[in-house]
Amino acid sequence: MSPLTYIIRRIFLVIPIILGVLSITFLISHIVPGDAAQLMAGPRATPEIIERIRHEHGLDRPLYVQFGMYVYELFKGNLGKSILTRRPVLADIVDYFPATFELTTAAMLLTIIAGIPLGIISAVHKDRILDQLSRLSSVIGVSMPIFWLGLLMMLFFYVRLGILPGPGRIGGELPAHVTGLFTIDSLLSGNWRALADSLSHLAMPAFALGYAVLARVVRMMRSSMLDVFSQDYIQTARAKGLRERGVIYKHALRNALIPTLTVIGLSYGELLGGAVATELIFAWPGMAHYVVGSMRTLDFPAVMGVTLVIALVYILVNLLVDVSYAFIDPRIRY
Amino acid sequence: MFRRSLLVMLSIALVAAFSLTALASPEDGVLVFGATGELRTLDPHVSVDNNAWRAIYYCYDRLVEFKLGTTELVPGLATSWDIADDGLTYTFHLRKGIKFIDGTPFNAEAVEFNFDRLFGMGLAPAGTFGFIDKVEVVDDYTVNIILKEAFIPGISSFATDQGCIVSPGVMEHEVAGDWGQDWLTEHSAGTGPFYVDEWTHGIRVVLARNDNYWSEPAKLEKVSIRYIPEAADLRMLLETGEVDIGEKLTVDQIEAMKGTAGITVFEAPSFCCHYVYMNCQKPYLNDVRVRQAISYAINYRGIIDDLWRGTATQMRGPIPVGLVGHDKNVFQYHQDLEKARELLADAGYPGGGFTLKIMHAPVIPEWRPMALVIQEGLAEIGIKLEIESYAWATLRDKLNKGDFDMSHGYWTPDYADADMFTWFWFYSQNWGLAGNRSWYKNVVMDKLVTQSRIEVDPDKRLGIFQGIQWISVSDAVYLYLLQTDYQIVMRDWVKGYVYNPMLLNMPNFPGMYIEK
Repeated sequence: MSPLTYIIRRIFLVIPIILGVLSITFLISHIVPGDAAQLMAGPRATPEIIERIRHEHGLDRPLYVQFGMYVYELFKGNLGKSILTRRPVLADIVDYFPATFELTTAAMLLTIIAGIPLGIISAVHKDRILDQLSRLSSVIGVSMPIFWLGLLMMLFFYVRLGILPGPGRIGGELPAHVTGLFTIDSLLSGNWRALADSLSHLAMPAFALGYAVLARVVRMMRSSMLDVFSQDYIQTARAKGLRERGVIYKHALRNALIPTLTVIGLSYGELLGGAVATELIFAWPGMAHYVVGSMRTLDFPAVMGVTLVIALVYILVNLLVDVSYAFIDPRIRY
Repeated sequence: MFRRSLLVMLSIALVAAFSLTALASPEDGVLVFGATGELRTLDPHVSVDNNAWRAIYYCYDRLVEFKLGTTELVPGLATSWDIADDGLTYTFHLRKGIKFIDGTPFNAEAVEFNFDRLFGMGLAPAGTFGFIDKVEVVDDYTVNIILKEAFIPGISSFATDQGCIVSPGVMEHEVAGDWGQDWLTEHSAGTGPFYVDEWTHGIRVVLARNDNYWSEPAKLEKVSIRYIPEAADLRMLLETGEVDIGEKLTVDQIEAMKGTAGITVFEAPSFCCHYVYMNCQKPYLNDVRVRQAISYAINYRGIIDDLWRGTATQMRGPIPVGLVGHDKNVFQYHQDLEKARELLADAGYPGGGFTLKIMHAPVIPEWRPMALVIQEGLAEIGIKLEIESYAWATLRDKLNKGDFDMSHGYWTPDYADADMFTWFWFYSQNWGLAGNRSWYKNVVMDKLVTQSRIEVDPDKRLGIFQGIQWISVSDAVYLYLLQTDYQIVMRDWVKGYVYNPMLLNMPNFPGMYIEK
């Protein structure tokens, strides 16, 4: 199978997965006791108002009809209207998702850029001080809850030292809106002040969110490197007089990278989940607030829309990881 | 070598940029308000949420207004108003020569349009004006509001956020018969001292001064309402001065900030009451003696002094202190375990020996510790109390169905009248979420609460309220726990703040200014 056929096949597989995700979310959100129309209408609404709202949103129809209607509209590209914000869910997601995407992507980049080299260093210097330090920080990372780490970092870097900005996504003027990702937008519009502003705001939340995954990547990278080091072909490479650098980067790294990449891909889901806590702690205006608010008020269209987007992103990231295997290891064929 | 120097340069540039932005200070004409709650819409005919009202209220004016810092009514867009002798017609005489921010002139037709829009959309705010039968334009600057039946407290409703007068110009943005709702969700169209300049979802709403305001213009150029979901963050931002004024912080945080230099903590009694519903239709609780026994078993002082750190006042019946009609002599329960045991024995349960359940929701973090204190009190008289935690939506559903024994709850008034605490709480047609959440029925009470709505004579009305309070206490309809203090934290440089218990979470932005 050619890589292209493989990718197309994987994309088609997304449909049943999404349908499954949707029906489970739909069922769970509708089983929870509570009257969405009542919540929407507010505490002092008359019964007529409540009935009207119930009808307007189709909440008086049987569950399977509601689900059918939802899926039908979905195929037309309509995610429905949020009960809470009274805006199209798609418009809300367009507002909130870029912030979450920027944060999780920054955290993921951090885990790749810092995690892989640290893992290599750890393996190369096995059982020496650098390795011990990196292992210690990994243990700390894995065991420290995000909200605690976040608050601590803020207390230290923002309140005490004043070298990093406080909570929020940006302090001053917003960059011209293109993608909704402030860093990219300010780059595109050449607004360096906004770039520095948004990057400095991104630093702490991205680290707090990425730290646990980073720690896992370091450990994973270390152990697969050590595993590869014990293989015969590495001994051969060394025996034929290759420089150690060449052995590590040309021969060992590529082979050790695959399990680590898999871990990174799977961890993206964890980053998306962890983003909820991170966003709350750092007043990061992403999906977390939107989704928590929607769940609390039984805003079905919003909950469904967010679940759909998160599932899609997760699937996509893992597809990218799968495709990248072939580039790292040309022996892999689909 | 090149790579290394590039790295060094990049790091220097980043550090420089970080310190530049970290130390950027806000301008003087801009007040930064930190809010832990986010708004969802800016349309006054849609919203029933204080977090939205904070941004909406001062972009509009109303026919009548609350006098600064009081619940008294003063002229707003109406220069005067008359109430017909039968109480069935309100006549408003409107101010001339005023234009909405979009240039539309303000007149009687604009007022009529507002009620058409409210009732046409039929959303929650319309409920506040449920007593209105129709609106009649008498001439360009006179409008009659005809009521379904006499309703004395109604006039105060016109000063609430739901009474904001919106420009008929919003109809230019109407899409598919939505009364311009899509557009007004994100914009403002009032005659008020501010207008909505920017709303970046999840980040901030910026209000800018309306320089053509018909009355005294606002002192501040802009108000930036920043959304900071986590109270711990808000505290940090207040301490560093990045935020000028903000709410809500927890009782602990406020306590800790009281000594901080440069920070003022404002505290005053609010009309927000925390109480416990006792379902009068359920076994045990349907006996007034059991409800009285429970009322005697609670350690009120412990709840107020320890849990609320003294930032609350014990309720004395349903009507809070500060609201006209409050009777300061009405009987107040206190912990008396002997008396409670006697009452239980009288009711046929010597030594208790039964189990009740109490619901709460994590939305109000204080509820669970309060439930524990109640549990402890009831254990003393032999009643086992099980504490159940529910999601907000589920809790409200159970309340509405009467599927509970006891439940925590709170209440704030929409309009400044004791009626908010009597008719809703005790009228037997209001069972469930509507307000009678103890599912209580008493024919005498029904008569009194209905009468209080139509009695024109203020003194007679006070007498009725007095009767209601005495009955509601001797019937122990609810566990009257406490009335909270309102607390807001601000930097010393914020001046001109005046508290109004009717405009909770909506500080008087037009009168405030910054003096550094």
